[in-house]
Amino acid sequence: MSDNGGSTRLSIAAKAGILLLLGFVLVAVFADFLAPYDHTSQSRNLPNASISTISFSNDDSGSFSLVPRVFEPKMTDALLQSYTHDPSRSAKVEFFAKGYSYRLLGVIPLDRHLFGTGSDEIGLHLLGTDALGRDRFSRLLIAIRFSLIVCTIGAAFASIVGIALGLVGGYAGKMADTVISGVADAVISLPSMIVILAARVAFPLELPPMTAALLLVGLFTFTGWAEMTRLTRGLVKRTRTLDYITAARISGVSGSRILVRHILPNIARPLLTQATLILPAFLLVEATLSFLGVGLQEPEPSLGNMLAAANDLTQLREHAFVLLSPAIVIALFVLAVRLTNTGFNTNEDRKNF
Amino acid sequence: MRIIGGQFVLQFFIRKIVQGILLLLITSAAAFFLLSSAGSDAFTSLRENPQVSAAAIEKLRASYGLDRPVIERYGSWLASAARADLGDSFYYQVPVAQLVLARFWSTAVLAFAAIGIACLIAVTLAFLNARFRSRTLSVFTDGIILVFSSTPRIVISLLALAILVYGAITSVFWLSAISLSVPLVALLLAQFNQSLQDAMLEDFVRTARAKGLSETVIILRHAFRAAINPALTVFGLSLGALLGGSVIVETVIGRPGIGSLTVTAVRNRDIPLLMGVMIVVSIAVWAGNSLAEVLQFVNDKRLKSQEGE
Repeated sequence: MSDNGGSTRLSIAAKAGILLLLGFVLVAVFADFLAPYDHTSQSRNLPNASISTISFSNDDSGSFSLVPRVFEPKMTDALLQSYTHDPSRSAKVEFFAKGYSYRLLGVIPLDRHLFGTGSDEIGLHLLGTDALGRDRFSRLLIAIRFSLIVCTIGAAFASIVGIALGLVGGYAGKMADTVISGVADAVISLPSMIVILAARVAFPLELPPMTAALLLVGLFTFTGWAEMTRLTRGLVKRTRTLDYITAARISGVSGSRILVRHILPNIARPLLTQATLILPAFLLVEATLSFLGVGLQEPEPSLGNMLAAANDLTQLREHAFVLLSPAIVIALFVLAVRLTNTGFNTNEDRKNF
Repeated sequence: MRIIGGQFVLQFFIRKIVQGILLLLITSAAAFFLLSSAGSDAFTSLRENPQVSAAAIEKLRASYGLDRPVIERYGSWLASAARADLGDSFYYQVPVAQLVLARFWSTAVLAFAAIGIACLIAVTLAFLNARFRSRTLSVFTDGIILVFSSTPRIVISLLALAILVYGAITSVFWLSAISLSVPLVALLLAQFNQSLQDAMLEDFVRTARAKGLSETVIILRHAFRAAINPALTVFGLSLGALLGGSVIVETVIGRPGIGSLTVTAVRNRDIPLLMGVMIVVSIAVWAGNSLAEVLQFVNDKRLKSQEGE
């Protein structure tokens, strides 16, 4: 809040959380610019290549140079898909390199990317390539963008539906309240993952990306509203007995106006906290569905379907880190939201004392 | 007194049973209408097969009774479900009830192992925190709560798979149980630690101290009993979460159970099987919540009778 003279100090944990979240937002907004390669372009001669070898020495004299070089990977065993690098063939890492063309923020046509190699043959693969030779780093960025957008929209819809039903349940008559809270309790008590999977069957299993995104938002709303409704309902019940609400009612303000203008602004804070807390839960559902092959499907990348590659046990043994990198991203996102939230909440508590 | 107590218990059980029946009706009706209104069933994929004529598909559907109106089908499903007959699975070609129950027990054992692990860790850490009140230990506990609650199950299961691959632990059962228990550890630890700390500030603890009881005895005999009720609520709610969590753990690690059965049913559009899964899961969740409430009641009554002495 602005009126306490800048005395609110956030804990280090909260700052770290906010910084991480900011990073995620930047990645989501500038995913195309940050990604060096098109996430669908394949190089069939480089399946499962490991992380590119980078060197800071000049190729001839061996002296130090600030501009790093990338070496061309050379397959040594086609069966095991193991690689060494070819020291004679290398390319300079370039910043603002030319690459595939895209639209920044969906409008500005561009073909520059943050980094690249300026060579068509030798690529810089920060996380190696996947089984079809696609750059895993680029796919990861696009996947983060997809997950964040879908989950944010899902959280927004679930919150709106949940808050609306909670307001009605908390303020309207006994009949509506019993029905709403009964159904909400049933939805909360059932394991959401199994409910979502069961609901998923009502739709074709293979879907184009846009339909899959819409379906995910729908499923999030379908299961996410209940928790929000329970919270809103409780808060409304507690608030409606306060004096200023009674005063408003006596002076003839209509019920809906009381709800929207007087009650809602006063319970907005805990509702917002809850809305941000369901975000990581949705991210997990999205990842799980795509991991099981019923969410976003190939060739579109998602955190879940990228993780599915980790089910290949021989690959997992060789490249555990790169295969689990989407999992690390998921864990970081959940951690970021948790840290930010606990930071803000302890801050609130301190202010109340 | 005893008559009033007996009446109360009777009322409680009647209320619980009515609640359970309502929950079952709501979930089964919602699942049935959703699954059958979407117009896709086990034969949808057959439509893409040019060798199967539309008439043949219709005949197949009719033989399974899929051409009748939804309400009628739900009625007959409900009538046979009341006799514990949930039909046959399309994919496995065996009775759903038998299949689902077998897989459910497999997961239930896993879930109880997970609850056991979580309780052990939560109770031990909370006890040590209350006994020694060490700053380092408290920071350590907070750290565990944060890390365990923010590491997603999908990540944990993949790590467990990696451990299995590298051969550090080879027991699939215990690895699955540990993966399943991680978020629960955070939940139980946070709740039990907090309520134990609250209980330590209560008057009866001060009285016990004044009587000269040792700190360990005070915590174990007096504070624990007061702290256990909020933790029981968490336990009641966690059963559903554990069943949901088993979806990912069992699929990744490859252990047959209710979670992996759900995934198979989804992938093969096995609607009778999915209905069976939903019913069994609803019953389990209801039973878990009721059990937690009964335990709370028992624990509470003991407290009351102690006060009466």
